[in-house]
Amino acid sequence: MNKVLRNLGIPILSIVLLLLTWQAIVVGFHVDSFIAPRPLAAIASITGNWSTLWPLLLGTIRETVYGFFCGAILGISLGVVMAKVRFIQKLIYPLLVLSQAVPIIALATPLVLIFGLTIRPIIIVVAWIVFFPVTVSIVDGLSHVDPDLLNLAKVYGAGKFRTFWQIEVPASVSPLFSGLKIGATYAVTGAIIGELASSTGSNLAEFQQHANANFNTAAVYGSTILMTIVGISWFLLVVACEIWATPWLRRSTARRRRLRLRQAVAKR
Amino acid sequence: MSTLLSLTGVSKTFADKVAVAPTDLTIEEGSFVSIVGPSGCGKSTLFNLVAGLLAPDAGSIALNGESIIGSTGHVGYMLQKDLLVPWRTVRDNIMMVAHLTRRVRIEDRDQAEVLANRYGLGEFLDHYPQALSGGMRQRVAFMRTLVTPHPLLLLDEPFGALDAQTRLDMQRWLLEVWKESGRTVLFITHDVDESIFLSDRVIVMSPRPGRIVADFTNPLPRPRNFDSLTTMEFVALKAQIMKLLYGESHE
Repeated sequence: MNKVLRNLGIPILSIVLLLLTWQAIVVGFHVDSFIAPRPLAAIASITGNWSTLWPLLLGTIRETVYGFFCGAILGISLGVVMAKVRFIQKLIYPLLVLSQAVPIIALATPLVLIFGLTIRPIIIVVAWIVFFPVTVSIVDGLSHVDPDLLNLAKVYGAGKFRTFWQIEVPASVSPLFSGLKIGATYAVTGAIIGELASSTGSNLAEFQQHANANFNTAAVYGSTILMTIVGISWFLLVVACEIWATPWLRRSTARRRRLRLRQAVAKR
Repeated sequence: MSTLLSLTGVSKTFADKVAVAPTDLTIEEGSFVSIVGPSGCGKSTLFNLVAGLLAPDAGSIALNGESIIGSTGHVGYMLQKDLLVPWRTVRDNIMMVAHLTRRVRIEDRDQAEVLANRYGLGEFLDHYPQALSGGMRQRVAFMRTLVTPHPLLLLDEPFGALDAQTRLDMQRWLLEVWKESGRTVLFITHDVDESIFLSDRVIVMSPRPGRIVADFTNPLPRPRNFDSLTTMEFVALKAQIMKLLYGESHE
């Protein structure tokens, strides 16, 4: 109970503190509501426009999630190939850095020209941002496996394939999740950049631009809050997957259910 | 007793450094043989040659009369680092060689459980290694070595990282397990007491170039216990080995 309180209570407290600071600044410095709204007004603009915002929010979530998975799969595949084939690593690394040095905003518009006013260019922008930390972390993870452990596998005559699945992959799970977590927080940024460039007339980024043009600052802040919530939720989901995938980091014994399952498989 | 392992004229050079000068060595089946020597004397190179991680420049290495030069999968192998994988339970770590080489069978699980139960780790089968003490982890690592079918076990300073107390416990435990298993052990250490307490033969190596300088047959009777450590035979053998390792004028 105490632990749950600490793990959940403190993050919630810090968000409440942030909102209180916001409120204090707006009220204390007599900021006009069209320059910066009070937090409650921003939240009210969300609930007030919910029927408009909900489908737009769904769209942003879809772009974020699809883009994240495309980026993660691309990042993992590329990372594995790069870690395993030195030549390809040398060949691709400069391009990898180049890909991230290109301002993503400058890239979004040509992508829309190529793929049209669909979800595709947006997904590509998200994947473009997500794959990089994933690739870097998996290359790092795979190339830092304990050489003594690899020698042990070799002495016992283990094949390359089994050594990869039994040792190298599990040893890279923690680094991989570091990359995925970075990717998860950036994914929503990619989605919003993509939406701005694609200008289909019905997405969250354009709703915000429209509100901005109408001096509806509360709605601008409201939509920003929604975007942030998408990013945070996605990050937390990845963290939950990490906790599930790496029980040995937190537990002293294996989960009962998993053990029973494996026993059943072994007996069959 | 028949010969299990035989090295004939085995040598290995790295760049300009002679790690192992031409060396002959035979190990009898079922025996416990220790190699002692300072660091850089080539004992670990010799070990890696037998394990198949290195190929010798010259000479032959035969296990049961068949050449095993540069090929792996013939011996059990254990280092000072326990090399347990943190993502597998004690049970699965004991079965790791099966995981690494073939499809795991229910017999593998049974074997791991029987072994862990017999040597006092039964209640930790579902634990992850990080929950275990250093001595317990080394026991698990040794069980992982023991479940392999190989008659020859190569142990490279397996207790080197343990504290003195745990180390003595582990040495006694190893003797017990070795006797019951009937395996042949080639044991590397730089602890002279350890080598005498455990072995049938103590082989002394010397650096620059790495070579065998003496091969003592241990007169200490078995079974051995802590009293063995203070007998005349023990002290006499220790004196001879120390003289070889550190020279006469070490006062």
